[in-house]
Amino acid sequence: MTVVIGFEGSANKIGIGIIRDGEVLSNPRRTYITPPGQGFLPRETAKHHRAVILTVLREALDEAGLKPADIDCVAYTKGPGMGAPLLTVALVARTVAQLWGKPLVGVNHCIGHIEMGRLITGANNPTVLYVSGGNTQVIAYSERRYRIFGETIDIAVGNCLDRFARVIKISNDPSPGYNIEQLAKKGKQYIELPYTVKGMDVSFSGILSYIEEMANKMLSSGQCTAEDLCFSLQETLFSMLVEITERAMAHCGSQEVLIVGGVGCNLRLQEMMGIMCEERGAHLFATDERFCIDNGAMIAQAGWEMFRMGQVTELSDSWITQRYRTDEVEVTWRD
Amino acid sequence: MASWVGDSIFDNQFELTIEVPFPSQREVSIALQSLSPDHEPRTGGTIKSLSASANALSVKWNAVKARSLRVSVSSFLDHLALVMETMDTFGQPDLQ
Repeated sequence: MTVVIGFEGSANKIGIGIIRDGEVLSNPRRTYITPPGQGFLPRETAKHHRAVILTVLREALDEAGLKPADIDCVAYTKGPGMGAPLLTVALVARTVAQLWGKPLVGVNHCIGHIEMGRLITGANNPTVLYVSGGNTQVIAYSERRYRIFGETIDIAVGNCLDRFARVIKISNDPSPGYNIEQLAKKGKQYIELPYTVKGMDVSFSGILSYIEEMANKMLSSGQCTAEDLCFSLQETLFSMLVEITERAMAHCGSQEVLIVGGVGCNLRLQEMMGIMCEERGAHLFATDERFCIDNGAMIAQAGWEMFRMGQVTELSDSWITQRYRTDEVEVTWRD
Repeated sequence: MASWVGDSIFDNQFELTIEVPFPSQREVSIALQSLSPDHEPRTGGTIKSLSASANALSVKWNAVKARSLRVSVSSFLDHLALVMETMDTFGQPDLQ
């Protein structure tokens, strides 16, 4: 049996999870929540992670009922993400790896999402839609790489949603995306927004500028409600995502879709993707907020795969990196 | 400890050295390896070098601007404190 502990903290979530051969033994997490109208900044986010990380680590061990000696490998997020939070988490991972005499494995955050999604859903070789606050990519596996078929050319879809939430002062608790999703259910009117698919890629910054410009005017004049705006924004953004995912599936001849990343727990996105899959006779795989949203177990799972293939990261090579593309990683654990 | 060396105010150079004592070689080595892998941002003009002796970690900075020196030292001390707290909390032999 191989037991891996995973440390994640590339954005505003800090999570530590323990995996034993595909079984999640523990996966505690904390989220840094900012007041309405405010985003999270690197310094403050790192301070948050710093304040709770040792408590979360204690919880992860206690919930799993394990002692450090039971762990075989320490995995941590090498990147991509915000520098200061990544470093805070990496420091603790490096230190415990040495204290406990365990090997260290640096994990690509995106690969963590994909491997966790595959583990939880049992999807074999899916076309992956990875959607979060920092990333938007359509990915398919080929020849030892997770290849990016389409991606955002500017901001991530979750960033577009988060920043829209700030404009109309939607709460960030538990997350802006969740609150937009709830409001959208009560939307009655579709407001037309720019639709910007460019080949296999998507663009969200123009849509955000457009809605930022018109939102408060339309709300104050009573032309539409906040619920209508949430509904219209979701429908537009998610249609674009479904379109590029479908095109990637057609290209690869794939009959499976896996949605991962924080935006992936949005049920309306899952529903729209499900309709497309049904029309194509394909199968949709998605997970809930425990595993979609950043967590420690996903880093442990990708670390588990890497460690089993004999990959370890020397301490001197364990630097963190804000930029780290999904297709930079050689996937040694798949055929 | 900070000294100012240079020909003119346009060519100033700050140097700072601090020594952090540890109970044993083991802790010094762990702290050194946890704190060494990440390099300073190239734009700051600050160079930081870490080294270890038998029971102390020593850190030396060379900086062009006092401001970037302060930023680097301040974040280093935060990182050091986190590493030491981690050792205190999870490095006890009874946890093994």
